[in-house]
Amino acid sequence: MAEQLREPVVDQIYSLNLGPQHPSTHGVLRVLLDLDGEFIIKADPIIGYGHRGHEKMGENRTYKQFMPNSSRMDYLSGMLFNHGFALAVEKLSGIEVPERAKYIRTICAEMNRISSHLLWFGTYVMDLGGFTPFLYAFDDREQILDILDSVSGSRLTYSYCRFGGVCKDVGTDFVDRTRAFVKRLLSRFPDYHNLVTKNIIFIHRTRGVGVVTQEQARQFGVTGPNLRATGIEYDVRKAEPYEIYDRFDFNVPVGSKGDALDRYNVRLEEMVQSCRIIEQALDQMPKGDYHNESAAFKVRPPKGEVYFAVESARGQTGYYLVSDGSAFPYRCHIRVPSFGNLHVLTDVLKGTLVADAISILGSIDVVIPEIDR
Amino acid sequence: MAKKDDILQKLREMLAEDAIRMDEAYKAGVAFSAQVPLDKVRDVAAAFKDGGFYLESVTVLDFQDTVELVYHMNAHEPKSRVSFRALCGHDQPAPTVSDIFATAEWQEREIHEFFGNPFTGNTDLRRLLLPEDADYYPLKKTFGKVHAYVKREEIYG
Repeated sequence: MAEQLREPVVDQIYSLNLGPQHPSTHGVLRVLLDLDGEFIIKADPIIGYGHRGHEKMGENRTYKQFMPNSSRMDYLSGMLFNHGFALAVEKLSGIEVPERAKYIRTICAEMNRISSHLLWFGTYVMDLGGFTPFLYAFDDREQILDILDSVSGSRLTYSYCRFGGVCKDVGTDFVDRTRAFVKRLLSRFPDYHNLVTKNIIFIHRTRGVGVVTQEQARQFGVTGPNLRATGIEYDVRKAEPYEIYDRFDFNVPVGSKGDALDRYNVRLEEMVQSCRIIEQALDQMPKGDYHNESAAFKVRPPKGEVYFAVESARGQTGYYLVSDGSAFPYRCHIRVPSFGNLHVLTDVLKGTLVADAISILGSIDVVIPEIDR
Repeated sequence: MAKKDDILQKLREMLAEDAIRMDEAYKAGVAFSAQVPLDKVRDVAAAFKDGGFYLESVTVLDFQDTVELVYHMNAHEPKSRVSFRALCGHDQPAPTVSDIFATAEWQEREIHEFFGNPFTGNTDLRRLLLPEDADYYPLKKTFGKVHAYVKREEIYG
């Protein structure tokens, strides 16, 4: 015993590459860690492996041609990014959207949010060593993908929204299947809580780990569930209600400590709230047009600019579009939530253990190609 | 009083009479937009920090005659996004705000690699998304295929 208490023989700082191919980095992310033993002194995320130049592409494509690009940034919440881009262009060019289309979009967007959170739930628990919940979560998520596939034609990179509506109407089949899915998902939560939330190993790996303070969140521009876990009740859907979110009754779940466990709890509760929104939207959905036929085929917004923010699965997504009056955007900047959520790790990882870094990285829920754009 | 009203009052004291453009209908998604001279960017950013705002996004617009930095600020309150913008010459160094808002460290790195705009005071301007040895600035309007390269007044005139 006394032997172990002696000073370590080797007293030096060494560097370790976490990634770019590591099961827990979810996308191609390399974190260059400077370590003192097991403790992290400095973490430097190295990104850009998935850079495709969406902003440049935006300037070289018409507004409509850029629509499929939008869902390829954050491929896990493509519908939400798609929705945000459609809303931004509609605001810039003053296109009206029929009521039914608004409901269809909102339902699909919330379904996509649940599927993104389910995937995060499964992979995060798998990062921490629990394989079974992953399979349960993917079973549920598969149903969402099937439903969204039936209306939009794709399972991941949706391009369902159009300026002035959606590309295809939904039938009673969609409504029935969505209702059945929501009912099924709500009945699964007790299982999830029994399997994971109450699991003592899980609690020890997450409680008090990777605390993001409110000040850090503000400094690094952290948004979404990560921000709400720190106790700040801020959700774009409530703060500046877009589309029809002001018509629904839902809560914004918040945490108190800002640790990994709070982030977990916030996301799980958000899925329940999304279910509430979907149920209300299905009840209220009117009959009518799903697309504004009078909207111009080739959109030419008047000169000017717009910044439009939506709440995507990972936080605030902002489209900043500048129009010079032509069919091509003069500038198409996208503010992505994972950018700040990953950047904050440079501060949060300091002084933590390597094993905790895996847990923290997972709990932040970053999608790297979204940052790379 | 909402944070955006506080900051509006403060900016009115700091800036020229006609610098602030109100936008009650949020047509551009912001409550108001302030035109700031380049040498006051840091003072304005510090005022926003004291006012409880966070930096949502920094970006650059490339025009024939000038480059414009656009800062979007937001507070964790309903409908409180505001923006301020500063004109800057091509390749003219802009003051960094990375010591005021940590998120600017990376956002300025991104601007630097895509537009070539240097930032004085930001010590870490390595490439963020592009390869380390990239010697081109892809989002400049002089790079690759572009559909329009106009003077600023043609859009905002």
